[in-house]
Amino acid sequence: MRTLAEDTFLADDLLRQLMSVGEVDLLVGVSCHNALQQLGEAVQAIERSFQQFFVRQRVVIVNIDGGDKDTQQNDPANSPVAHPTQTVVPGHGITSLRTINRVNATFSVPPAPGAALRTLLAAADLLRARACAVVSPATCNLTPDSIAHLLRPAFQDKFDFVAPLYSRHKFQGLLARNLVYPMCRALFGAGIRELYTDEYGFSGRLASSCLSQNIWNEEAIQARPEAWMALSATGSNYRFCQTFLGEKPPAARGPATDIVEVLRQTVGTLFWCLETRQSLWLDGEPSPSLTTFGPDHELTTEPSNLDPHRIFEMFRTGVTELEPILSSILDPDTHCEIKNLVAIEEGKFRFKPDLWVRTLYDFAASYHHSVINRSHLVQALAPLYRGMTHSFLLEHSDSSPAEMEAASEMLCSEFELQKPYLRERWKTNVEVTS
Amino acid sequence: MRQIILEGLEQVYNKLLHMIAEFLPRFLVMLIIVLIGLLVALVLRYILRALLGLTKLDRVSEQSGASRVLRMAHLPSMSELLSRSVFWVTWLGFFLVGVSVLGIPGFQEQISRLFRFLPEVFVAILIMFLGVAIANFLSRTALLAAVNAGHPSARILSWAIRFVIWILAITMTLEELGLARQTVISAFSIVFGATMLGLAIAFGLGGQDLARRALERYFGDAKKDTDKGKEPQPL
Repeated sequence: MRTLAEDTFLADDLLRQLMSVGEVDLLVGVSCHNALQQLGEAVQAIERSFQQFFVRQRVVIVNIDGGDKDTQQNDPANSPVAHPTQTVVPGHGITSLRTINRVNATFSVPPAPGAALRTLLAAADLLRARACAVVSPATCNLTPDSIAHLLRPAFQDKFDFVAPLYSRHKFQGLLARNLVYPMCRALFGAGIRELYTDEYGFSGRLASSCLSQNIWNEEAIQARPEAWMALSATGSNYRFCQTFLGEKPPAARGPATDIVEVLRQTVGTLFWCLETRQSLWLDGEPSPSLTTFGPDHELTTEPSNLDPHRIFEMFRTGVTELEPILSSILDPDTHCEIKNLVAIEEGKFRFKPDLWVRTLYDFAASYHHSVINRSHLVQALAPLYRGMTHSFLLEHSDSSPAEMEAASEMLCSEFELQKPYLRERWKTNVEVTS
Repeated sequence: MRQIILEGLEQVYNKLLHMIAEFLPRFLVMLIIVLIGLLVALVLRYILRALLGLTKLDRVSEQSGASRVLRMAHLPSMSELLSRSVFWVTWLGFFLVGVSVLGIPGFQEQISRLFRFLPEVFVAILIMFLGVAIANFLSRTALLAAVNAGHPSARILSWAIRFVIWILAITMTLEELGLARQTVISAFSIVFGATMLGLAIAFGLGGQDLARRALERYFGDAKKDTDKGKEPQPL
């Protein structure tokens, strides 16, 4: 008979800490990599959330420590007044009836998001947590309310995946608005607006299911596991919801703002999910229902200092310079239409929705057929995304949020309408007849 | 006199008959060996084709860009090329063994020399294939990175990388084959050195501003560059 220590990949120290905690109702995972300064505030916000909203529940905070020495100094869990794994936090008017447990999962180097999530899932599975949330200390608007909003639907309303919803500037999140959201909605039926996010909640049931899958070494999962987790739930008997958390925090400089890196992480993962879960959309029409708590997606319209001219120039140069690569990815007609766009005057330039959708479906099919190296393929999408962004900025410079929402719905319909095109291209055998 | 001529002719005739009698069985043996070789080569080609089909070599070749080079050279797909190569090498091997059975003087030495040379030919082909694949992959990586970063002359950069790796691969191939070894190495050193020196001088003289901007971008005030090309937050 195998023991727990033999069956799990968790380190001995972490196992020891988890075993001393016992079973819990709620688990919140927090990854402190690159956000050491904010870690203390984040942990306090989580504790206050437990004290205010989950007074009677057994709770644990799992801190994913990337091996940075400073973490030890900044982590309030390591203060000399408290037991390393158990802290009774001074009350803020209301005090939890239970001990707030803290666990440190220490890695020698900062773990990839996939490895961090896997550790959290294993901890949730071991502790039999009923609801879990993942938060990032880098999120400047982390409040007790927002944490409760992520946990409550999974804990009380039996939802399996809780995605956040934000209020954001109308020109922010264009990759989500013009690609990820409409494509996932059309193909998986999952109309989750924020599929790639640092904050989300999930049930213990979904955690156990995801943990048991043999995908954790996949590159796509290592970079952005949350989208895969959400899409894993589609087609199964799981329930989704979205919950409004307030204003979208600005992304810190780094990979989150580098468009190529973001494309590799998000679109790469999305295409990978399309392939691994193709039975869902290829032969059927998935239609999971989606509940929304709070307002449904707010847009703000403050002036912005974007540079559409440079974006357009990068589109134009990209289409010209990458012609041999694009010709191997795109359908000849689609490629021809895109090449014609380059000649159009900047002010009159429009990337029409049907062309955009066909372009993306061509990319998805070519990813499936591996016509070129997959990482290269996703990178080749960057100039075209810039073209779409430029078109969007021009078209909606004076649009109201309602008009933009109508345009977004139209794009979703286009994705839906052209599904047969993707199915046809997907199933077509690409003969490698050299 | 007549008798002598007749005896001579008879001797020649007998010798010819003897030679034919000696040669014919050997020739038949050679034919049998060649036929067996043909069968073995066909079977090997069939097996290899099936195995390579399972390993999806053509897809890898397509991804790496090697198939494109083969298409440009009007050659078949990678798996077909390898299968055919194995077929011809196997059959040629059997053919040469068969020919050696004929016992033609001086032929044995040539055949053994040819056999000794075959591994070097294979290694040379492998070096060339890897060189082409690596050159295509790296040049495409450079092209994508340069285009997406908004660098000017992305295609020139990509072609420069491809060219350098091709030259390196060709040099290594020729060296492996032992063809004009010294000349090839000297030529490579001169061409490579001259290219690099030329680029350095061109960059130093003509690209002072570009160099300054590049250095400022990496070591200077990052904010200045960030503000210049502001793009909307994608997520």
